[in-house]
Amino acid sequence: MKRPLARAGIVAAFVVLAGIPWIASPSIVQFGINMLLLAALAQGWNIIGGYTGYASFGNSVFYGLGSYGTAIAMLRWHLPFGIGLALGTVIAVIFAALFGRAILRLRGHYFAICTLGLAEVMTAIVSNLEITGRNTGLVLPLLRGDVLFYELSLALVVVATLIVAWIAHSRFGYGLIAIRENEEAAAAMGVDTTRYKVLAFSLSAAISALAGGIHAYWITFIDPVSAFDIGLNVKMIIVTVFGGPGSILGPVLGAFVLSGISEVLSTEISTVAGLFFGAVIVVAVVFMPRGVADLIRRFDKYRWRYFAENVRANRL
Amino acid sequence: MEPVLSVRHLTKRFAGLTALSDVSFDLGRGEILGLIGPNGAGKTTLVNLISGAFRASEGDLRFEGAPIGALPSHRRAKLGIGRTFQIMRPFPGLSVLDNVAVGALFGTGGGHRQLAIARELAHQKLEFVGLAHRADRPAEALGGPDRKRLELAKALAMNPRLLLLDEVMAGLNLAELEAVFAIVRKVRDEGVSVLVIEHVMKAIRSLSDRLLVLHHGEKIAEGKPQQVLSDPTVIEAYLGRRRAAHEGAGT
Repeated sequence: MKRPLARAGIVAAFVVLAGIPWIASPSIVQFGINMLLLAALAQGWNIIGGYTGYASFGNSVFYGLGSYGTAIAMLRWHLPFGIGLALGTVIAVIFAALFGRAILRLRGHYFAICTLGLAEVMTAIVSNLEITGRNTGLVLPLLRGDVLFYELSLALVVVATLIVAWIAHSRFGYGLIAIRENEEAAAAMGVDTTRYKVLAFSLSAAISALAGGIHAYWITFIDPVSAFDIGLNVKMIIVTVFGGPGSILGPVLGAFVLSGISEVLSTEISTVAGLFFGAVIVVAVVFMPRGVADLIRRFDKYRWRYFAENVRANRL
Repeated sequence: MEPVLSVRHLTKRFAGLTALSDVSFDLGRGEILGLIGPNGAGKTTLVNLISGAFRASEGDLRFEGAPIGALPSHRRAKLGIGRTFQIMRPFPGLSVLDNVAVGALFGTGGGHRQLAIARELAHQKLEFVGLAHRADRPAEALGGPDRKRLELAKALAMNPRLLLLDEVMAGLNLAELEAVFAIVRKVRDEGVSVLVIEHVMKAIRSLSDRLLVLHHGEKIAEGKPQQVLSDPTVIEAYLGRRRAAHEGAGT
C-alpha cells in the first residue's frame, strides 16, 4: 500500500540529487561528492557489517586498493580512468576473496581486530613499494569536472543501493541474515556459510574500491596514510549504524544526515564541532539504536513513545 | 531395506573427555527412534555428530548409504538432514515467517530459489505446527512453547528425510505435548525418519518405535520401548539405584 508512494519518493529524490550540481555552487558540489562517496562506502559496509554481521575494519583497505589500483593504471600504464577503476576493483575483490576465506573464520571481536591489522599492514607495504610511489604517494592527472565526479558518485550510490535492495529480497540475503543472527543454525539449515561470507565480503570490497578509485581521480593525490585511513572505516560504521544497519536505505540516509550535521557544525562552531558531533552520535545511539531507517518505519505507529521504548528496551 | 541412517562405532573425544564411545545403531525409513539417557550421557553430542556441528573422532556415519562423516553441516542439510536445537536458536532479527522461510530457501536439495515460493511454503509449515497466527511477529517476541514450535517449523521447512529433534517437548504442558506428538507422527507418516531426544519419559515411550539408551557416552540398551524401559540396567542408569531396587520390589 505504501510501497509505490515510497518508490516514487525515492525516484524523485534521485532526480533532485542528480540535478543539484548543474545549478549549485562549486563548494556545495564538493560537499555533495564527499557525502555521496560516504553513502556508497556505508552501503558497501552494510553488506558485510549490517547484513552478515561481521564488523569489518578492512573496508578502508579495499578503498585504498581501489585508489591505488586506479592511480597506478593511469600513471604507470597510461590506461584510461574506466579501466583503471575496473582494475582497482578487481584487485580489491581478489584480495577480499583470498583473505576473506582465512579471516572470516574468526567471529566477533577477533574478526574486527584482524581486519584492523590488515589496514596497518597495507599502509606499511604500500609505503615501501616503488610502483606505489612509496610514502610520498602518487599524483594523478588533473581533470576539472566536479559535476562528472558528482554524477559518478551518485551512480555508485544508486548501484550499491540496488544491490542491497536485491540482497534484502533474495535467497542470498536471507542466507546472510541467517549467518548474522546465528551462524551455527544457518549452517544446520543448509547455508554454505563460508561461501556466503566470502561473497558478501567481496561485494562489499568492490563497492569500497569503486569509491576509492573515484575519489583518487577527483582529489588527484593519494598517499598511503590517507588511502588506508582507518578513520574512514570508522566513519562508514558510524554512518551505517546511525542510519540503520541491515536496512536498504539506512546507510544512505545516515550519510546524508550526518554529513549535513557535520558540515553545519564545522562552519557554525568550528572549534568545538567534534564535541557536538560526538554528542549527536551518543544521543542517536541511545534514542534510536536501530537507526534512522527504523525510526521512519515505526514512528507512525509509536509516535514520540518510540524514543522512550528504545531507552526502556535497552535498559539505559 | 537399507537404513536411512547407519551409525557405526561412533566416538567423540573432547580434549581427553570421551563424550561418546563406540556407539552403533541403524534408523529405518519412517521410523521414530527415541534417544534417552541421563544428563551428560552424550545425546546432544550424538545429534551434533549426525548434523555435522561436530566431527567424530572415530567411526562411520552413513546417510542413505553414502558416507557423510567428512561433510560440513550445510552439505548434510542439503542431503536431507534437518535438526532442531535444544537451546533454541531462532533468528531474532527476522519475523517468524522469514525464520521458517530460511529453511525452505536452503534445506534439502538446496531448497527453493524463489523467495515468494519459500515464504508460501513457510506459511504452510507454520499452519502445520499451529503458529500461523504469529507469522508476522518478530521471532524474539515468541514465548517458550511457541519457540519450540518455531524450531520445529524451521526444521520441517527444510523438507528433511531425517529429522533430528533435540528436546522439542521439554517444558510443554500435556495438551501442547499431544499437539507435537501429532505433528511428529504426521511427519513420520510421510516417510521421514525421526531421531528424537526427550526427557519426558511418558512422551518418548508412546511416541517411539524403538528406544536407544545412552549412559556415560555408551549405548547400554536398544529395542522396543517396553522392553528397554523394564531393563534393570536402564532403570539403574536412568533412575538411580534406589529406584531400581524399589521397582524390583514393587512388581
